[in-house]
Order: sequence, then C-alpha cells, then structure tokens
Amino acid sequence: MGGLSVVGKGVARVDALEKVTGQAKYVMDLKLPNMLHCKVKRSSLAHARLLKVDTSRAERLPGVKAVATAADTPNIRFGFYVKDETMFAYDKVRFIGEPVAAVAAIDEETAEEAIELIKVEYEELPAVYDPLEALSETAPLVHEDIASYQAGFSAVKYRNVCSHTTLKKGDVEEGFRQSDFIFEDTFKTQVVHQCSLETHPVLAEIDGSGKASLWGVSSMMFPARELLSQALGIPMTKIRIQTVHTGGSFGGKVGYIPLGICLLLARKARRPVRLVLTRQEEFIGTNPRHPSIITLKTGVTSDGRLVSREARIVMDSGACAVDGPAVMTNTATSAPGPYNIPHVKVDARCVYTNKQPFGAFRGYGHPQAYFAVESQMDIIADKLGIDPVEFRLKNCFEKDGSELPTGHRIYHCGLKETLVRASAYISSARPASAENKRWRVGRGVACMLMESGLSGSGAFVKVNDDGTFTVITGTVDVGQGCSTVVCQIAAEELGVDLADISLIAGDTDTGPYDFGSCASRVTRAAGHAVRLAAADVKKQLFELACDRLEANIEDLELRDKKVSVTGSPFKSISVAELATMSIFERSGPILGRGAFLDKGGVPLSERVSGYAKSEGPSLQPATVIAEVTVDTETGRVRVLRCVESQDVGRCINPATMEGQIHGGVVQGIGYALTEETLFENGRILNPSFVDYKMATALDTPQIVPLIVEELDPTGPYGAKGAGEAPIVPVAPAIANAIYNAVGVRIKELPITGEKIFMAMKKSQGGKE
Amino acid sequence: MTTELISLVVNGEAHQVLVKPNWTLLDVLRDELNLTGTKRGCDTGCCGACTVIVDGKTVNSCLMLAMKADGRNILTIEGLARGDKLHPIQEAFIEKGALQCGFCTPGMVLSAKALLDENPSPTEEDIKTAIAGNLCRCTGYIQIIEAIQAAARNLAGSASRR
Ligand code: FES
Ligand code: FES
Repeated sequence: MGGLSVVGKGVARVDALEKVTGQAKYVMDLKLPNMLHCKVKRSSLAHARLLKVDTSRAERLPGVKAVATAADTPNIRFGFYVKDETMFAYDKVRFIGEPVAAVAAIDEETAEEAIELIKVEYEELPAVYDPLEALSETAPLVHEDIASYQAGFSAVKYRNVCSHTTLKKGDVEEGFRQSDFIFEDTFKTQVVHQCSLETHPVLAEIDGSGKASLWGVSSMMFPARELLSQALGIPMTKIRIQTVHTGGSFGGKVGYIPLGICLLLARKARRPVRLVLTRQEEFIGTNPRHPSIITLKTGVTSDGRLVSREARIVMDSGACAVDGPAVMTNTATSAPGPYNIPHVKVDARCVYTNKQPFGAFRGYGHPQAYFAVESQMDIIADKLGIDPVEFRLKNCFEKDGSELPTGHRIYHCGLKETLVRASAYISSARPASAENKRWRVGRGVACMLMESGLSGSGAFVKVNDDGTFTVITGTVDVGQGCSTVVCQIAAEELGVDLADISLIAGDTDTGPYDFGSCASRVTRAAGHAVRLAAADVKKQLFELACDRLEANIEDLELRDKKVSVTGSPFKSISVAELATMSIFERSGPILGRGAFLDKGGVPLSERVSGYAKSEGPSLQPATVIAEVTVDTETGRVRVLRCVESQDVGRCINPATMEGQIHGGVVQGIGYALTEETLFENGRILNPSFVDYKMATALDTPQIVPLIVEELDPTGPYGAKGAGEAPIVPVAPAIANAIYNAVGVRIKELPITGEKIFMAMKKSQGGKE
Repeated sequence: MTTELISLVVNGEAHQVLVKPNWTLLDVLRDELNLTGTKRGCDTGCCGACTVIVDGKTVNSCLMLAMKADGRNILTIEGLARGDKLHPIQEAFIEKGALQCGFCTPGMVLSAKALLDENPSPTEEDIKTAIAGNLCRCTGYIQIIEAIQAAARNLAGSASRR
C-alpha cells in the first residue's frame, strides 16, 4: 500500500469513544419539551375490508392529544418499485400488523389505553398465505387494483404477481441435449428478520413555519424524504430528516411509514411526538427477508462443465411490493451463479400474500439465490466425483472479461483468488475438531459474486481557518462504520490526521443528496464523492499557493496542514494562512464539492425483461469454507470454524472490514441453522427474542477473515463495496459441510437438528 | 396507581425518585434520571442491552421493578470512566474495534466488568458464557471477546505493577 498513510490502516472508529461511554445518542434517547408518545393501532386480521375506524372514544380519553387515521392523509399510494403502499390502511387491511390508526398521548400508558379504545369494524375476506396458492387463478386478490398501480422501471404485474422477471441467454433445451447429466432440485428459504438491536424510533417536531423535523433511523434518508413528500403531498423543503446514531439496520431501517405517522400526529397535536416500536412490533410490522422457492435444473458434461441452467423462482412479497421486485431481480440474475453457463433461462415471480411485506436485508436476494446455487454445485460435484473447489474453479468467471448472464462484462474480479486463498488456508490448517463415532466433522465450501453500488452521492469539504477540514455528506452511518471510512478518505486526500477532519452527516437539509446506506454503496459512492470534494479543495489551495511559493501547481503537495514545494520543504505556506487569505483577499471561503454516480441499477440489458437493471460496475466476490460437527444422535450442528475470503478491492480499514466479515458470518449461521419467523394463518408465532433464535457468543465459531485486494479503478483508492457479501455464502457452505459430515442434504432453511435427524433416520443413520 | 418514593445510589450519586409500581429500573434510569446510556432492545429480558450492575451483579434492568431497586447501589455505563480516564474495558473495546452500531456496547461492557471483577483471568469459554445474555447483531462477538481478553491482561498488568 505504497504511499498511503490513513487509508488502509485499521484506525479506531471515529464514534468509538462516545459509544463506549454511553454518551452516543440514539433517537430513543432524544426528548423534546412537551413531547408526546405515539402508539400504533394495527390490524388484527390478515385480509379484511375496512368498514369503519371509530376513534371517538380514544379521542375523549384524557391525555390523548391527537389520533390519526387514513382520513388524515391524501391516500396517495406510494412505494419504491410499485406504488401499492399507504400510511394507514383505508380500503382493506392486507396483513396482521398493518397500521390502521395511531395515537399521540402524554405518556405511553395513555397511548396504549387509547389504542384499545379504537374500534375497527372489519368484513373478513378470504386470505392467501402461500405464494404458490397465490399464483392460482382462483386465489383471493391481495390488491384488486394492481393493474392501475404505478410502477417504477418496467415491472410486469398482474393478479397477485407484483413483478415478473425473466432472463434468457442461449437455448436451454439445446443445452440440456448437450449435457451428460441433468440435475433438478428445489430449495426453500425462510423469513428471517434483521433484528437490529435498536427497534425503529422516530421523533417528529413541526416548527412555527410548518416545517417538519424528523429524527429517524432511515438508512435511506433522501429516498425516504421523497416517499414522504409523495405520500403526504408536502414539498421537500418542509421535510427535514436527521439521523443521530443508529443501532443497526442491515437493510431493515428504511422507516418511511413510522416517519410519516409521527409527522401526521405532530402536525395534528402541534407538539413533538416520539414513537419507539416495541420488539414485538418490530417483528410484525417491519420488512424482513423474503422467503423463496427456487428450482434449479442444471445440465453438465461428465467432465464437469456447466452447460445449461433453467431456474424457476417464486418469491413471497407479502402484502406489498416494497423492495421485492429489485430483490427478486437479484435472485434471478444470480441463479446462474458466478459461472460460465452458455444456456440460461430464468423465470421469477414476486407474489403478494397476506403477510407482512418483506423487504431489504443484507444480501438483497443473493442469500436466497446462493443457498440454492451453491448447494446444487455440491450435489453435482458429489455425483460427478469432482472436488467441490476444483469444480467451481473450472466453471467460474475469470478475473477480467467474463460475461455475466445479463450480458455485461466484468473486470477486476477476485473471485477465483478468494476460492484459492480460502482452500489453501484450510488445506494447511488442522481440522477444527477430531471426529468420533457420535460427532461427525465436515467441511463445505460456497462462493458467490454480487454487485455493489448504485445511484449518486454528493459531498462538500470546507476549509476551516485553522487549517482543519469539515466534510459534509448526505450519508448515514447505520453502525457499519462508514463515518470512519469517509473521514479516512478525506484525511488521506488532504494529507492530514483523522483528528483534523470533522464530519457532518445524516441530515437531508445540510447534506447533499445521497441514495443511502444500502447496496454496499457507501464506501464507493459517498467515499468517492468525498475524495472528489477533497481534491477540489486541494486544487483551490494549490492555485492560491502557487503565486506565493513561486512554483508550478504540479510541483506542490499538501501535507500536515501545509502546502509545500515537492523537494523543498522550507518553501511552504500553511493551509490556515491560505484559508484566511482567501477569505479576506481573494475569492472568499474555500469550498470543495464532489459528486459521483455509481452506474449500477440502470436498465441496460435486453436479455432481462420485467425489471431490467445492470449489474453494478463493481463486484463483491467472496468464498466461505465452513467446518461443522454434527451429532449423529440428535442432528445438532455446531459450526467450528468459518474461513471467509473476500475481495474488497482496496481495504480502506482492515479492522472495520474484519468486523463486517465476523458479523456477516454469524448472521449467516443464524440464517443457516436457527433463525426463522414462523407464521400461522398470517400471524407470527414467535415475535420475540425468546422464540426467535439469534446466535449468541456461545454460537460463535472461530472466524478467519482473509482479505483479497483486487483493486477496482472505479472506486476510491480502488475500493469495492463490501458490507453485504460476508453473509451470502455462509448458509450454503454450512449445508455442504453438513452433507460432508453425515451425508444428508437439506434443501430447506433453516437446517434444524430435527430436519437433519429425520433425514439421517431416513437414510439409515447417515454416512457409515 | 399508588406511587412510592425510592432511594437509590446510581454511579455514586444518591437519588430519590417517585415511582409507579409497574415501572422498571430501566424506566427510572432512562426516563427519570436521563441516563440514556442504558439501552432498551426488547424490554423482556432477552437481549442484555439494558444490563446494569446492581450491588456488584449484572441485572437486566428492564426486568427489575423500580421498587426492588430501593436502597440498592447501581452502576451504569455513564459511571464507569473516572472523568476523562476510561476504564480498561472501554479502552480495549475501542482498540479492538469491538463495536459497530454500539447499541449493545453499554450492556456488553458492564457484563465484561462484572465478569472481570469476579474472575480476573477468564478463559474464552468463561467470556462467551458471561456475555451469552448480551445479543449483538453487528460484530459476530469476535472482537468483543478479544477486547475482554485484552482488558483482562491490561487489568492484571496494572494490578501486578501496583
Ligand atoms: S431490554 Fe432488557 S434484556 Fe432487552
Ligand atoms: S454493535 Fe450493534 S448490536 Fe452490537
């Protein structure tokens, strides 16, 4: 890492001190004078016509200051991809937990009591919970008016299908004729919740001019502001969204509905209103990961070349589209995996059911796809008698020039390198545990490739008159550490220490547009914008300095808050002096600006229909090798070790990057083995941490992060996006390791001990 | 509802608070004493974000009725540093990168403190067991475990120098 002094170092996070001392403020810690407390009345039925919402008794309860229902909104349907959402249900309720009304009262107890006094009259309708049933001609319709809903991009929608995507390359039938073996397997994945430790909080205040200040935890503040503006018919100048510290998001904290509800109540009550979802509401009322059913039919030659793949995907969207069309497109375009397959056909449908709407969760469609793809890779390798790593290396994309199934060429892709690094590590490592008759040990590999980055980000850099710098971005640190990373990038570009940078972020009024903390885009897009803004400042400083130093601009350098002539360190002028000179004698204060567009997400390929998008220009490749031990008497699995090798391009901060890998692996273990939101007739049976089993410290295996740096020239200092990849290959690697240990193949997540036990029993006790 | 006046010492400071019978210690700390460093992640005793130390033992403050805290001595995250001087566990959390969103951090740090007070040289298993009631969704626990190990070493080092 020649010549870099801040980038590439595992510096401590800029927010660490306030977090270890308990001083860091989260939205639920904020209070305003006269603040009211909000509670939401939620639908108790999965599908019903809404006949009447009688709030009169609640309104009369002493201490209640405002009640809001759909009648307080313009009832404009809104949404990112299909405009099918409303703030409150008004014609029908479509899932248990859908907001019907909300109350603002002097304390939480009163608000809760008021909620009980709201009487809702329903006419129950037949509901549909199973996405396959929802596809049938006779199924009840979740949204009767779907044809009239506006959709972004080119979503194809009909009946209960809110988005239908296809992908076609070559001729799969011809491909199957050329194949020696054909495999067909169906995989199922479950609903898992983001389970950020902080639930959704919102604080809303309307000022004297009618402007709403909203403190929320929106990881996508600017898109959230746009949706609120659309949904409530309020101009963006009257909505300000700010974030303070955020207690995790993982895609779950988009939060425009809680923001809207609080805004409405604060406007009605003319007092600040705070809403903090309970853990139970968090489970029933937010947008967890889509469950999926994925069938892969794959043709291979006997020497292990993939020839043809047909994939059929049904994704359960729940009651609204939310992120569904885009998540499903990722699943669809990933169904061929990171492999050269000449013939590919994918048919994917995102289907409404009367369950909570599913949404974005780390990996965004890839965890589902890769569980199927990488499980089947091992099924095939096993049958052909080829080593799983060799089989993958034989078929996987090259570093430069391989063609994605969408038709795009890829470059700077370190996928092969991650496979080689992980398997080299494991082949020289001792087994994580010894085997005995009862506890069998197995190893499994899985790799994956996903794009990163999309949309635009802006940044400003100010020069302070003491020679320090202030960075202003529209980005939001949801906990992953992007504040630290963008400060490192600014410090590197400006030649100063981290301590000489102050950061203003997380405010739609002060910051330039930023699409948000999603799609592993922040380091690339926001980081790039910050770098450009810093370079702009540097250029202006050099222009001011060159006269004074009697030197050419090309010969100047900026370091330690001084501009000096390269090779003549005594010829220098301080940034402080230049800043003051500029303010009083030249052109006023020095302001730097940077803007960057990451060209992912743009419809480009004629091979994809329904919701076309390009794979982003940058890729996140990763490989996991998992080692597990399985109890042959009970089916219980313990993950002993996970080696995760990931190509992150330039690793801006190795410490935070390793943290991303650790966290992703442990979330992936939960997805593989224990986590599942269980539904019965649309009702969630386990909306609490008692019954929803997240991994604890006791479940954490040894984790070995191996960082590959295949630089990507389109990212700042060669950085790639990296936050989502770590979770994606974990579940299939564990499934493959379980097969390796006891010879049973489980195709449905989560792979519980019970499923393994039953499968072992069926195959007479597993491998002998 | 009848209220009752309780006395408690929090971070060395004596307080008297008028509480309702259904209030928890967490309600008192966050809402009455404005000590918001103690977090609420579930309110049902499952996540450990509300961990505080009561008379030397960790407690999920969301489960402890405020009236039960009468006469007790409570340490919250705000009381751990001595002025600007961080506790070695806090220092180790920063140095090892043992936090991301930071929402679990106050509870984690206090669980670590209770452990090291009782067992100055814990094994990795001891540490995992001691923080098993503190959920973290971000870090995968690895850097937290490393930080507690580092803090144990630093505390042992400074104790032997004394
Ligand atoms: S808030 Fe007390 S244990 Fe979760
Ligand atoms: S750091 Fe986010 S929950 Fe632990």
